[in-house]
Amino acid sequence: MITHLKNGMIYDPAHQKNGVKEDLYLFQGRIVPKPLDPSKITQTFDLTGKVVMAGAIDMHSHIGGGKINIARMMLPEFQENRLQETKGYTEPEAHVCTPNCSHNATPSTTDTGFRYIEMGYTAAFEPAILPINARHAHLEMGDTPMIDKGGYAMLGNDDYFLRLLHQNADQKAINDYVAWTLQATQAIGIKVVNPGGINAFKFNQRRLDLDENNVHYQVTPREILQKLSRAVHELGIAKPLHVHCNNLGAAGNFQTTLDTMGASDGLPMHLTHIQFHSYGTEGDKKFSSAAAQISEALNKNKHITADVGQILFGQTVTASGDTMMQHLNAKHANPKKSVIMDIECDAGCGVVPFKYRDQNYVNALQWAIGLELFLSVEDPWRIFLTTDHPNGAPFTSYPHLIRLLMDKTFRNKAFAKLNLDAQAMSNLTSLNREYSLYEIAIMTRAGAAKLIGLNDCGHLGVGAQADITVYTDQPDREAMFAKPDYVFKNGQLVVKNGKVVKVVWGATHTAKPAFDMGVEKGLSEYFDKYHTIQLDNFKIADDEISDDGRGKIITNPSKSNQ
Amino acid sequence: MDSAHLNATTMNATCPACGLLCDDVQIVIHQQTIQVRNQNCSKSQRFFEQAQIVTTPKIAGEPASLQASIQHAAQLLKAAKAPLFAGLSTDILGFRALFNLAQKTNAAMQHINAQSTQRNLRVLQSAGWQTTTLTEVKHRADVLVCFGTDIVTHNPRFFERFIWVKDALFCDANQREIIYIGENINTSAGISPTGNKPTVLACNTEDLPEVTAAFRALIQGKTLKCTHVAGIPISALNDIATKLKQAKYGVLAWVAKDLDFPHAELTIQNITESAVLLNQTTRAASLALGGSDGDTSISYAHTWLSGVTLNDAPIAHDCMVWVNSYSPAKLPKDANLPMIALGQDDSGFEHAPDVFIPVATPGLDCNGTLFRVDGSVTLPLKKCREATYPTLSAILSQIEAQL
Repeated sequence: MITHLKNGMIYDPAHQKNGVKEDLYLFQGRIVPKPLDPSKITQTFDLTGKVVMAGAIDMHSHIGGGKINIARMMLPEFQENRLQETKGYTEPEAHVCTPNCSHNATPSTTDTGFRYIEMGYTAAFEPAILPINARHAHLEMGDTPMIDKGGYAMLGNDDYFLRLLHQNADQKAINDYVAWTLQATQAIGIKVVNPGGINAFKFNQRRLDLDENNVHYQVTPREILQKLSRAVHELGIAKPLHVHCNNLGAAGNFQTTLDTMGASDGLPMHLTHIQFHSYGTEGDKKFSSAAAQISEALNKNKHITADVGQILFGQTVTASGDTMMQHLNAKHANPKKSVIMDIECDAGCGVVPFKYRDQNYVNALQWAIGLELFLSVEDPWRIFLTTDHPNGAPFTSYPHLIRLLMDKTFRNKAFAKLNLDAQAMSNLTSLNREYSLYEIAIMTRAGAAKLIGLNDCGHLGVGAQADITVYTDQPDREAMFAKPDYVFKNGQLVVKNGKVVKVVWGATHTAKPAFDMGVEKGLSEYFDKYHTIQLDNFKIADDEISDDGRGKIITNPSKSNQ
Repeated sequence: MDSAHLNATTMNATCPACGLLCDDVQIVIHQQTIQVRNQNCSKSQRFFEQAQIVTTPKIAGEPASLQASIQHAAQLLKAAKAPLFAGLSTDILGFRALFNLAQKTNAAMQHINAQSTQRNLRVLQSAGWQTTTLTEVKHRADVLVCFGTDIVTHNPRFFERFIWVKDALFCDANQREIIYIGENINTSAGISPTGNKPTVLACNTEDLPEVTAAFRALIQGKTLKCTHVAGIPISALNDIATKLKQAKYGVLAWVAKDLDFPHAELTIQNITESAVLLNQTTRAASLALGGSDGDTSISYAHTWLSGVTLNDAPIAHDCMVWVNSYSPAKLPKDANLPMIALGQDDSGFEHAPDVFIPVATPGLDCNGTLFRVDGSVTLPLKKCREATYPTLSAILSQIEAQL
């Protein structure tokens, strides 16, 4: 019953293994020690010369919930393009399309699971679950096969929280509400998007700076960030507060980003898709790279982590909770249509299709800024590989992005094709760094698991969940990472030569720190008076996720920080 | 839940009879009889108090065993080259199973409300929109314009639950301005508790394209040379445009089913684009209401499961699976082809379907899940009485096993 993976080159940063030749043994979904009785080995894979890593983890990818489904509904042409592109192919290649073709920007739930696992990813986390929309998010994630999933619940723009702040509620009341929300929504982390800004937009404020008051509640984004990050820390939620800063996409926003780091007060904080928040105002076009300032600050502030949100060229769609900034950006929509939505005194959503073009000055510089950040942030444990799928590019372009990071010649050739004005404004070619396989394994496995608090994932130690990806070591890193030889999910062979050979259903990761149930007294009064659904129906029961026989909830342990 | 626990119990149920999914419906259950306590909605009362139908699976109208019926259904599906799954009046959990079987049998799918759903989808796919949801309406809407609808025919409790409320957070609910534009509209629900009467601009339904086009132009700040449009003075339309521009949060509502004329999507787009224009200076939003037979839910779930929306194009087929849990009075159009009917009741069919299998109704006989009409809220439906029949997904998986 034991599967033996023999002679592979192990890249397991959680155990400081950098390409060491070692064997792995898999039993009942886990990695186990070498069996005393070799006759129990029923299956052996000779991995001589192959690269072996834990299954990759996407810590920020919009795979479930309302926004992407609105994008799917609004953009039928994305799927039509796919049908055009794949004409002439026969099964099983019928799904082949370019990694950043628009179809992959809004894949069906089945496609999402399949495309991830085919690249060796075994888990992905939806970073923006509106609490009121959480049931929808879990329905979609429940229909996403092959991979584990989970999500971060959005707070900080909801009426209930802002009222607490307005009333100077004590930190314990905030903590209880945060923990209650995490449990009610079956999430693993807490996110804040444009702190206070989504809400301010509903009162017709069009921008909100870090120290500017929301007109109704008279609280600032800084206060929101401080209360939320303290709550996350004191509750022992492993995943640091996931922060989408104010002023996304605006020239000069790097100062807001630096100030947001300052607002963390030394508590852990994760700044997401930081590429979209690293813009200066230099040059004729008043739009420049501030990657140097941002990466310098990241290098200095060891309690801050970030993912990049790299953009890649082509058609995609941006889906964000940030209605304030998406409304501003809607004029750039391509094709020309967008959805902006205020939601339930809870949050909002904005869906705006985008086409990033390499001859467009701003787009070309965005591309360069993302790579500058990757190459200038020194600690791969604190920077994560994302495209903010689908906002910067579909997740299927990860192998291409990995090659850009690992292959300087390839990167510089791509750079040379960009808009010339943008080239003149970037120092990318002076950055000689090439990521190693070990560093890629940190960014996409060990680091991501550590960040989210998945003790059993992202590593290859005994006891780990047997999610394992095996690649052929080849100089073309894009080809290598696009098509693993084997992927094992919970110990089962599910992908062979880049193709799914067995369909499985992953688990949903959650965190459930303890809290005072007394919090429901205030909530229940609030729901009865102000909400339009019952409190009990807001909460998602475990069996809503696991009752269909294929879903499963994993509750990951909390830390003790108080 | 066993039947002993169901003796004379009271519970809050979620009502799937319209798109509002009111989840505060108090019901009293005594054995298999349900009584609705809050007498404020005829639709929910009709839904929960409907008698449990005693029937059996049938083959060609004759009672048959469940097993024989399932077998026959599987045979019909196997023989079909182009099956169509229609009706689709069910919840998410039922639809997941339907989608799965449709994939296996290469079947096309179409919802009972395909036409009205498509009116809205065409607008979304052509221009997008700027919308809101019911809790925002409850607390923010200071001006509400209803285009071609009284709303309450479809959503009886709309004004009670979201407009004339006691505790609006960000506006004075009693001072809300209600405006109706359209034909023969029952405007009584639009009278405020303090007696303020709504504004009514009467026009024929078929004139709404012209009226909404003029309205959109006025919102845009254009000057119109005519004095009237479809009998409505331009000045009256302009007053409404001005009110919306001065409002903090205007809401422009419609019900796609009430806009039943060719190219209604252009009228809807006039409404939604007016909301988009208003947002250049103030806040406003459009709001599609109505909803029935799980239409929002089925549209959403089909989209995430397949990547694309369902549509209303005629579909050639040689066999139909008709699923109808919520509106037994609605019947499929062409009943001459082989038909497998799944639902509460077969008494309405003119010709007996080849196979009829009774299934549990989600939200009454079994648990379920539905999306509210505003799209962001998903609610669990509860089992309220002891089920006599298996769930749709249980039947479908048995059919699938026979393929």
